Amino acid sequence: MTAAVETTMAAGVPRRAGFVDLGAVLLTILTIIVACIWFFPVFWALSTSLKTDQEAIADGINILPSNPTFNNYLYVIQHSDLPIWYLNSTITSVGITFLVVFMSACAGYAISQLRFPGRMALWWTILASFMIPGTALIVNHFIIIAGVKLLNTHLGVILPLLVAPVTVIVYKQFFDGIPRDFREAAVMDGANEFQLLFRVYLPMNWGITTALAIITFIGAWNNFLWPFLAIQNEKMMTVTVGITQVQDTFGVAYARVIAGAVMAGLPVAIAYLLFQRRVTQAITLSAGIKG
Amino acid sequence: MANVELKNVSKSYGSVQVIDNLSLKVEDGAFTALLGPSGCGKSTLLRMIAGLEEISKGQCFINGTEVTQTPPSLRGTAMVFQSYALYPHLTVRQNIAFSLSLAHAPRKVQDEQVGRVSKMLQLDQLLDRRPAQLSGGQRQRVAIGRALVRDPKVFLFDEPLSNLDAALRSQMRVELAKLHQDVKTTMIYVTHDQIEAMTLADKIVVLDKGIISQQGTPLELYNRPANKFVASFIGSPAMNFIKADVASKNGDGYTLALPGGRTATISSRGGTASGNSVEIGVRPEHLALGAPGVAGSSFDGTVSIVEQLGNTTLLYVDTAGGTLIVEGEGNLRVAVGDKVGLTIDSAQSHLFGADGKVI
Repeated sequence: MTAAVETTMAAGVPRRAGFVDLGAVLLTILTIIVACIWFFPVFWALSTSLKTDQEAIADGINILPSNPTFNNYLYVIQHSDLPIWYLNSTITSVGITFLVVFMSACAGYAISQLRFPGRMALWWTILASFMIPGTALIVNHFIIIAGVKLLNTHLGVILPLLVAPVTVIVYKQFFDGIPRDFREAAVMDGANEFQLLFRVYLPMNWGITTALAIITFIGAWNNFLWPFLAIQNEKMMTVTVGITQVQDTFGVAYARVIAGAVMAGLPVAIAYLLFQRRVTQAITLSAGIKG
Repeated sequence: MANVELKNVSKSYGSVQVIDNLSLKVEDGAFTALLGPSGCGKSTLLRMIAGLEEISKGQCFINGTEVTQTPPSLRGTAMVFQSYALYPHLTVRQNIAFSLSLAHAPRKVQDEQVGRVSKMLQLDQLLDRRPAQLSGGQRQRVAIGRALVRDPKVFLFDEPLSNLDAALRSQMRVELAKLHQDVKTTMIYVTHDQIEAMTLADKIVVLDKGIISQQGTPLELYNRPANKFVASFIGSPAMNFIKADVASKNGDGYTLALPGGRTATISSRGGTASGNSVEIGVRPEHLALGAPGVAGSSFDGTVSIVEQLGNTTLLYVDTAGGTLIVEGEGNLRVAVGDKVGLTIDSAQSHLFGADGKVI
């Protein structure tokens, strides 16, 4: 047997039994530690929500409730407008998701595929909008929305949250990557621009739209600051704003407040668990842009 | 069916002139190939006919109607792309019916048309598959089906076989030829492969740097090239070119002093050599192989490479006129290093002047 053949065979020999890859073990331990640190607040919230008020504020660290109870959840459901807040959150989040995705797809398509005067200026404006944090615009938003008498309305919550440069950029990049032949083939077949977008470009990868929709929905559902400012009427509040009313009503009833918070976050957690792969894809798509 | 006419069309991208004042007529029902090397403007010309590229100057007519400003979908043309451009999210059936669906054709009409086309292209068993589940040849047929279902007046093909392997390309050539016989629609076919052009087309238009170098039937181009570019582009293996000096003019032809000291008399096509220096163009099959040193032969040389192709043998012979390719019989018994004599078939040779034009 030649040396070359021996070398080739040695390369294919399985790792020696009992051999431990120390680097992999350390990495696994580190990952588990980080996961535990990340999960602890969630666990603590769940645990506290199942405690009595006395136990929740008792001295010392009680990791697990001594007598687990769902009374806090029942209390929040029975003594607050939680169902209405859920409905309001659903209306505004679905509205924001639909409009953001629709408008971003249209804008991304226009900037990527159409040639019109001011196209590049528009593109640079969208890129430049990253420089301005959303909170810096909140006073302007409030004045405008108040001026058009949309405070305490669903539309008033929705409109300022439609500014989503990341989704536009993700769509533009996606459309840029589609070979020109598809467009030309569809043009030869008689497709207009709307048909090109909705029958050729978007369906080619619904995954991107799904991912962007999920991440937009999660962002809209979790949004607190703008709905908090725009809504004073308790019946129009979203769930994230509504749970602050739980605190007001019951004083510092931590267990109940946290039960409300858990319920507020539940739809998002379910959405994440159901669409985990798509959420990860959306974060990956937008990560490069956010830098 | 329709004829296509381009009148003095030009296309430029900024300062780059891609098509320069080109005029072309494609007859009704003809299969015309636009042939040329990469960057010669053949695809641009096709796209101008399709309406996918704006015509900078000039006019385009389809069936006598000017379509220079007409949108692509209203020109009555259908195009098959090099990449096939099949919509990956649609099934074969949906791909073929796409144009009908855009036009809101009734479902029954769509089904009938898809049935007709799929039967013609033997796609009936594949209608529910997606493009990713098809082979290259099947995808190509779907692309043709998508064009066919529109019942176009003119078919445009942009290098449709270049993504296929050699065997499949050969098979698809036959299928395209059959398709043309069946539908008898005007077809314009862009290719850089002269074999495709020669085997499929009634007429070949050779393009070079945005202008028509020559147009004619495949045999006209092969046997009577108008210039050195066409002579070198058409034919495989390529034509041999030998520099020679004019010794004297004899009636229709010239007696030429060949490199190495011998002479050859080549007929001209009526042109006159502008200077003393010309080039002889002779195809590999028009160089006769013989013993070295024989009187009347054109060159003596040494065989440097032998390519046995089965039905034919190609010899690369080093001579005073450069390395010449000679095509001989399949069972030729010649070895590398053998000394041979070569004789130019004067009747089948061509003379090119210093400007590259045939004399």
